[in-house]
Formats: sequence, C-alpha cells, structure tokens
Amino acid sequence: QISAGFQELSLGERGGRRRDFHDLGVNTRQAIEHVKESKTGTSGAIIKLSTNHFRLTSRPQWALYQYHINYNPQMEARRLRSALLFQHGELIGRTRVFDGTTLFLPKKLENKVTEVFSQTRNGETVKITITLTSELPPTSPTCLQFYNIIFRRLLKMMNLQQIGRNYYNPNDPISIPNHRVIIWPGFTTSILQYETSIMLCTDVSHKVLRSETVLDFMYNLYGQVEEQRFRDTCAKELVGLIVLTKYNNKTYRVDDIDWDANPRCTFKKADGSEISYVDYYRMQYNQEITDLNQPVLVSQTKRKRGPGGIMPGPAVLIPELCYLTGLTDKMRSDFNVMKDLSLHTRLTPERREREVGRLIDYIQQDDSVQKELRDWGLSFDSRLLSFTGRIIQAEKIHQSGRVFEYNPQFADWSKETRGAPLISVKPLDNWLLVYTRRNYDAANALVQNLFKVTPSMGIQMNKAIMIEVEDRTEAYLRALKQKVVCLLSSNRKDKYDAIKKYLCTDCPTPSQCVIARTLSRPQTIMAIATKIALQMNCKMGGELWSVEIPLKQLMIVGIDCYHDNTAGRRSVAGFVASLNQGMTRWFSRCILQDRGQELVDELKVCLQAALRAWFNCNQHMPSRIIVYRDGVGDGQLKTLFSYEVPQLLDCLKSRSQKIDLPRLTVIVVKKRVNARFFAHAGGKLQNPPPGTVIDVEVTRPEWYDFFIVSQAVRSGSVSPTHYNVIYDSSALKPDHMQRLTYKLCHMYYNWPGVIRVPAPCQYAHKLAFLVGQSIHREPNLSLSDRLYYL
Amino acid sequence: MVDANLVKGECTGTIKFTPPLYKQRYQFIKDLVNKYKLRKVADLGCADCSLLWMLKFCKCIEVLAGLDICENVMKEKMHRLSPLPGDYLQPSERTLIVTLHHGSVAQKDPCMLGFDLITCIELIEHLEATELEKFPEVVFGFMAPAMVVISTPNSEFNPLLPGVTLFRHPDHKFEWNQAQFQSWALDAASCYDYTVEFTGLGAPPPGTEDVGFCTQIAVFRRKYPNTGETINLEKSTENPYRTIFKAVYPSLKDEKYLRNAVVSEVINTAQIITRRLLDSFKSDYKEHRNGLLELKPDFQLPHCFTRHSKNPSVAEAEKLADDINMETYVSGNAVYIPLIKFFSIPKVNKLCGTFENLSKLITGKVALSNDGSAVVISTEHEHEEKEIE
Repeated sequence: QISAGFQELSLGERGGRRRDFHDLGVNTRQAIEHVKESKTGTSGAIIKLSTNHFRLTSRPQWALYQYHINYNPQMEARRLRSALLFQHGELIGRTRVFDGTTLFLPKKLENKVTEVFSQTRNGETVKITITLTSELPPTSPTCLQFYNIIFRRLLKMMNLQQIGRNYYNPNDPISIPNHRVIIWPGFTTSILQYETSIMLCTDVSHKVLRSETVLDFMYNLYGQVEEQRFRDTCAKELVGLIVLTKYNNKTYRVDDIDWDANPRCTFKKADGSEISYVDYYRMQYNQEITDLNQPVLVSQTKRKRGPGGIMPGPAVLIPELCYLTGLTDKMRSDFNVMKDLSLHTRLTPERREREVGRLIDYIQQDDSVQKELRDWGLSFDSRLLSFTGRIIQAEKIHQSGRVFEYNPQFADWSKETRGAPLISVKPLDNWLLVYTRRNYDAANALVQNLFKVTPSMGIQMNKAIMIEVEDRTEAYLRALKQKVVCLLSSNRKDKYDAIKKYLCTDCPTPSQCVIARTLSRPQTIMAIATKIALQMNCKMGGELWSVEIPLKQLMIVGIDCYHDNTAGRRSVAGFVASLNQGMTRWFSRCILQDRGQELVDELKVCLQAALRAWFNCNQHMPSRIIVYRDGVGDGQLKTLFSYEVPQLLDCLKSRSQKIDLPRLTVIVVKKRVNARFFAHAGGKLQNPPPGTVIDVEVTRPEWYDFFIVSQAVRSGSVSPTHYNVIYDSSALKPDHMQRLTYKLCHMYYNWPGVIRVPAPCQYAHKLAFLVGQSIHREPNLSLSDRLYYL
Repeated sequence: MVDANLVKGECTGTIKFTPPLYKQRYQFIKDLVNKYKLRKVADLGCADCSLLWMLKFCKCIEVLAGLDICENVMKEKMHRLSPLPGDYLQPSERTLIVTLHHGSVAQKDPCMLGFDLITCIELIEHLEATELEKFPEVVFGFMAPAMVVISTPNSEFNPLLPGVTLFRHPDHKFEWNQAQFQSWALDAASCYDYTVEFTGLGAPPPGTEDVGFCTQIAVFRRKYPNTGETINLEKSTENPYRTIFKAVYPSLKDEKYLRNAVVSEVINTAQIITRRLLDSFKSDYKEHRNGLLELKPDFQLPHCFTRHSKNPSVAEAEKLADDINMETYVSGNAVYIPLIKFFSIPKVNKLCGTFENLSKLITGKVALSNDGSAVVISTEHEHEEKEIE
C-alpha cells in the first residue's frame, strides 16, 4: 500500500477537476537563498512590452467580510440553506456570495454574531447564526478565489457560454464546413496575485466544436474503414475525446465504447426505478433516439461526490445525443485541417490585443456587470499592462571549428550552415533501403540525392543494399537486418509502429522511415535529402552543431511525459541526460507505467544510470545537475516539489558518499501558458524577438520564475515558455540561469533553429512519444547513447 | 412551491407521492402542452423557472414567458433558459424566444397577450386580497389566453400532512377547500366566457377519498375564438413589467443558420462522393498494377448499426454517389459534381425548398464551377514538410 502522497505522484495527466489549477500557496522561492532578494536578470537590451494582463483595483480600505453560517437544527441541502439565509435579504443585502457554509459580503454587519430565524416550507423554525470569521484584505488568497467566482458570474451575465474551464461567445461562430468544424471564439481568464499586483490575465481561446454527433461520426468512419477494423478504429479515434451532450451543458470524456449495450438498456434512477435510456431521454428532455442499435459511450466520472466521497458510477452516454468537441488525433495530424483552422485561430499580436480588449470593453460597457463590480467595490484597468523586458544576446553556432552567426529575428540557421562539415559523423557504409515496387523511382531519387548532399557534411556513404518488398508489414520486417531506411508507401501508422517496434527492441538498429510522397517533388528533394542525412547521422550517434556552454562539469537532464489516451491509458516518461560539455550527446531512458503508478523510484533508476553513463564518458562525476521537467500539469507543482525533488536528492546522496555532492537545480517547464507578450515597434504591436526574457510584473512573487520567448513564428502570436525554478542549490545567478536555458533551446538537432523549449525537453518528448505511440515497451538499452528517437 | 412528497397516512405509516407532487404538477403542464401542441406558454409566478426549463424541450413551443414578483429568485437560475451549445450546433426548425419579466399579476402588460396557455402553478394562495381581486380581470379579461391552468393546495387534505397546522407555507395568505376553489373558478369562468374543468394531483390514501386531491387544479378554456388581440393591445399602452432576461434560440428560419446547415450538408455529401470516386480509381489502379484483384469488403452495415427510418446522410450520399457517378467528372485536380444532384438529397431539398434557393444559399460559400452548375472539390492537398518521419 502506497501512501496518499505517493499515490498522487503518478505521471498525472493535465486537467482534472479537483485541483488548484494555479498552484496557489506553493512557495518554492523562500527556500532558495540566493534569489530571496532579487530573482531578476540584468543582461541584454531593454525592450518595451505589453501583456494581456489587466490590473484589478479595489476601493481604498476595501475588505471582504467572511462569515460562517450555522443552522440549528442542522440543514443538509445547500439549496435549502441558501433559501433560508436569503429570507433575510434586508440584513445581508443583494451583493453576496454563498456556498452553503461561507458567506462573503462587501459590508460589515453591525454585530460580530447575528442570530436570525427562518421558516422552512414545513413551517419548521430554524435558527441561523451568522458569525464574522475574518476581514480579508484584497491580497488574501481567499480573496483570489472570490475574485474568480465573481468574474465567472460577470462572464455569465455577458451571455458567454461556459465550456470546460473557459467561456465562449456562441453568437459569432466561425464555420469550416470542409472539416465539419465550428469554432467559437471565447476567453480564458484567471485572476491571480502577480509580482506587484492582482491582475486579470485573459487570452483569446477558441473552442473547436463539431456539428456532427458521435453517431454521425461513427457512420462516417464506417464508410471509410474495413469492417473488421471498424471497432478498433472507432475506439482509437473516440476514446479520450471530449463530448458535449445535446440536452444539457455538460462535457464528458469518452473512456470506452460499450458495443454490447444499446439505448434500450435500462438503468436505475435515483428513486430506484428502472428505466431505459430511450424512455429516459424522451421523458426528461423530449429527445428522441432514432437509432436503437447504436452502442453507448462510457465516461468515468472524476468528481467525488458528497462528504463521504462516494464515487458515482460511470456515466453512460448515447452517441446520437453527443456532439464531438476538439480535434481528433487524425485531424491534428492533417496538415489541411490545421492550416484551415490556423487561419482563424492564429491571431497576429494586433488582432489578439483587439480581441482581448473586447472583453474589457464588454466589462466596461455592460451596465449590470458594472453594477455588480461597483457593489463589490472592484474595477479593472482598461488598458493592457505595460513594462519592459530584456532581449538576451544571440548565440553563435559552432560547427566543426567554424562559427556561424544568424539573423536572430528568424531564429534559424539552416541557410548559414548549409554544406558545412558536421562536428562528428558516422559513416553510412552498410545500410539497407527498403521500398515497394511502386516507390522504386523515389528510392533511387533518394539515394542519388543523398550522394549529392553527404560529402560536404563529411559523411562517408556507400551504396545502399536495395530491397524491394511487397507493401505488407511482414514483408518489411523480414527485410530488416541492418542500418535501415524504409520508404513507406503511405502514412499508415500500423506499418510504422511495427517497424519501429522491431528495430528499437528485438533488433536494435538505427532506422529512418520516409513517406514516399515527400520525395515526389523534384524541386524540394535536395532539401529533404539534406534533412534526412542529418537526421540519420544523429540517429547513428553523430553530432551536428553546438553553442558555447561556459559552465563546466554540468549535466543537463530533460524529462517529459506522454499519456496514452486509448485503452489502458499507460503513461510514458522520457528521460534524457547530457553526456558531454557541448551538450551534443545524450543518454536516454524511458519509464512506462500503468495508470496510478508512481514515478519516483523509476526516476531514481534513470538518474543513476545517467550518472554512470556520464562517469564512463568523463571519468568523473558532474558537479552540477540541472533538470528541466516538462509535462507537469496545472496543480501538480506541490506534489512535484515535495516528492520528486527529495527523491532526486536522495539518489545523488547515495551515489556519492565520499566526494562532493553535485548541486541540483530543478526547473519546471510549461509551454501552455495564457500569458502573451507584445513588443512595441514602429507604432505597431509585434511579436517579441527570440531571446526576450520577462522576469518582472507577470511572474509570481512566491516563485523563482521567468518567461522566455525563444522561438520565432511565421504567423500568429508567439507563445512564451514559462520556467519555474523550484529547487536550486547551484547558486547560479538568475541571469546565468536564463541564458543557459536559452542556449539549450538551440540544441535540438531536428530543427536548425531555436525551439520553444530546451532541447532535452524536446528530446524527452520525442522519446516518450515514440515509445507511447509505437513501441509500447522499453527500447533496447544498447541504443541509449544515441538520438534514435528523433 | 410546496414539496408535499412525504405524506403520512393515518393508519398505514409513511406513504410517498412518487414522483414528488411538484414534479407531477410540471408534468401535468408538459403533457397538456404536448397534447395540444401549444406554441406560446406563459408561466405566472415562475419562481426559479423550473417549469419553463422543462417546457423549452417541447418541440412545439415557440414562445415562453415567465413572470414573477421576485427578481432575485428568477435571476438565480435564469441562465438555464439560455440556448445550449447543441442548439447552436444543430439549430432547430422552430423558432424559440424565452423572456422573463419582473412584475405583478395584478398589473396588465401587453407582453402577456396572445398566449395559448397561461399557467399559475401554486400562485394564487400567495396573493394578497387586493391582488387576488384584480387577478381574474388581468388573466381572463386582459391576457385572455386560449387556456389557463390554475393549481392551489386543497385545505381538506392538510390534516393528512404531518406538521401542517394552519397553512402549508408561511407565505400562504389562504388555502381553500374544494368548494371554495371551485366556486371562485366557476365565477371567473362565467364572467369572462371560459369553460372550466376540475382535476387534481396526489390522490388521498384509501379510506379518505372524500378529502380530494392534495393539489387541486382548474383547467379553463376560452369559449370565443382568438380575435381580441388587437383590441386588447389598445387597452393598455403602458408597460409595467420589466424584462430581465431574453433568449432568442438559433433557428433555421434565420438565414444565417439555414445557410450554414445547407452548406455543410452540401460539402459533406460532396466529400463522400469524391472519396468514393477516388477510392474506385485507386482500386482500378491497383488491379492494373498488380494484375490481381485485391478483395475489398462490400459496404455493409455493422451488426450493431441497422438503419431504419432516419438514415444518416452518409448512407444517402453513398447511394447518391452510385446514382450520379456518370455525371460527376474529374478534371485536373478537381472533381465536379452537378449541383442539381444535391437538390435531390431529401434533407437539402427540405431545407431549401427550391433549386434557386439552394443555389443562392451556397454561392460564395462553396466552390462552384464557372457557370455555377457544379460543385468543385479539389483533390490536391498540400503537405507539410517540416519534419520528416
């Protein structure tokens, strides 16, 4: 039996209900001595920025009065409790928030304890005791909760519809009939205590809804796949998706499809009587179910109900009465779908500012919203918060003795380094090229072009052993024996999975799969062959480029998680650790775990193995270890801080009894943040350039955190990445920590440019994704010193 | 308003009204609405809007209105009456407007004119004598709907309810026995030219039949046809009620939603036709290349999917695809499907009515051939070439 704390320490998924999404009250900064005074960096050029945050202001001497409400005799139902209390409207007034026990008022009642009497419908007299428990200043954590409740009320008053955590405007939907998709524009909002003030952070959010029901979708799919694969495909596409019911405003996650059940099945109602789904929906909502043979969807409810914490049974849903929301994996991987969507959802900084401003305008213009705010004594700034950030110096790219500079605006050096020799190369002397007869031409073209591009890189290449196979999975597998390039005829995942699984476990061999279609255009084939050559070199253990890393004896670790949405819902954690000074070689392991299993013990094993590998390469132990931890969901920070960090420390202690303990730093990396930054340039709003660091105003006072905009985007607004240093015994200055982090964003070998996260995070992600999607078990350890997962 | 769902019988111990009486009262109204296909219903004393919320699911309902003297109680749950995301995703044929007013049943406001049914569920016993006096004139004389349903507690039943001494609720100004209620109702009916029938909910336990139903109900029907609307309008130009909520449901009567529905239907079908067409090319190609025939399973329904009456559009499109294969043609990187064929899809036909209308609705939203006679679906797709796997 594992303790409760450890139970939580599984690779928890993002989302979930009961959590505190904002990780309030997790104060990690106080224990980090060297940032107690200041956590801001100093280097770089100053840039004027604004952000999607608005200050919340309150009347002078504002306070929120919190009362405890007691009933005698005790009343259970919350509705009844409210009704009884609100019988005293003259006393408490109309401006109030009550959750059944705690009452918030903007005013102080005359007495500290007030007793009043109410009558129930049965004529029973109930004594209500209203006791003032505290006077809360505007910055109290309880007030933050309260602000968020009030704000949600305002959004409702503005007729926005709540779906999940955000609010959407249903009146101006964007319809994309080609993909049967409807987009609702809306807002995500949160009010939090930031560095110097309480602010509303609001960003544009787009909800993708589908005008088809789950049943329509099933029929459609049935037309597209073979009978025997139908159920599997259906489950693969649907499980994990969120559906919206026709008859109420609830969303559910599809966890399973029950093919043995149908709408004529019965269930037990709260009063104990049995009723069929058909009859129930007809009676309750006038919803006619026309297809009586459809299967039903099963959703495990997460919410605990009642004080006893009794878990309600799974919810059963009728496909015909459920709309799909969001995108399926298939749509996400469809370039055309994403392109059409991005037309509407990728907003330029100017448009984004306008849309965000619209919410504030609504707030300022709506009379009832203004009245509500006035009654509470609150108001919002009407302009975006402005402040300054810093652009840190651009990096130089080192490649085999040569140094390249690139335009920092584009954050891309593919042109500059084209044709230059690589740091280290592996010969492509003995390799197979497997293809089908249909792709014979493409295979030849690939070989010819590889011969053209490899010499300048310094890669020695022999002719491939060409093997023609039938387009069947078994045929591919039979042919695989040595270093391999497979030319796939189509983007069929099952073939890719089978090949990768075989070559990563049973027969550990670096391999490269290419979809034949990508080689079909003569004008791009050279560029593609270049990319393939680089990628293959990495997979065999070669190194491409480096940046200058001034810190010595430094080991960087990256961790990310992948959650399998389909049956079993296994989670995979990818773990990578640097092996050398230039951060060009990486050791990797991965952890597979079933739902609910804890991660810590396995993490220790990974770190130990990484330290051994480091020692073998360097003949000494690292003096510093910096862990970049990605894949942490909202609300998981506390668990991470109180369990994962101590385990890592333990592991270090047990390794090095005699020598000095390596210093440890743990940084939580978050890509999904609502903060956006806009740069002011030439009277216009633009994306901040790559290298922009923000460590003031919009950071949190209780954290050692900062934002970096490291990548450049071609369209839309750039997303900053949030870094939260939750443990740090390195005593590195914030400035150095920020610069090191930015440097690591240059080191991802699948992209000759700066990426959104430090390379180890992206490597860990790739590894976890490959294992979670295709391999489903731990890859062969003989591959662990190469980037085979690229 | 009274949940007398627990009734203690004198000799039999505890008995229960299942479902609880308040639910039975709502169900009574809902059944009435469904039975007579009523379109416009107003609920006086709508409180937390539960009845209105139930009624909005009735397919025949087009106008719902609620009136209450207490604004806060209405506001608490009024957002339940807003359209749901689903209502936007597949807008319904009918129009539906829901309005909530703050005001008194003793006041006349023209917004209450022209209703098919006005309900006063457990309302009158809350009225002060002066209000009750004006009530018949306002409801029967001024609002003059085709039907009125009034329910109120039956005081003869009270001895059977535990703990009820005087009235069932402290706010009740009176509770009538059967004779009192019926005489009041008959007076009102005869005065304003209505018929009235009496019924009730919550039958008394065996042996006490003569006390009557726990809730007594009067159903009034107007004797004269609906001609008075314009005359009534002149009676009052004042608007004493204040509207506190209004929701207009999306409907296919609105061209914006109609257009969306037609466009998505057309594109949907066109895509299925195109896919079928390309699939058949591909399998021809396979046969040609390999010299052998790869068996493709016939399109048939999964065991759990039998299609009866309402077919999803997919099946229709597949059928259509077979029908019109001859007239659909491929040119360059596009498939051309004659527009006239879409008009023969029952759903499209029903939505548009005329071919001209179909043409009008989709122009500018769906790619058409130069002469506008065919829908064009491009078969060329762009592919991303950023990362190669």
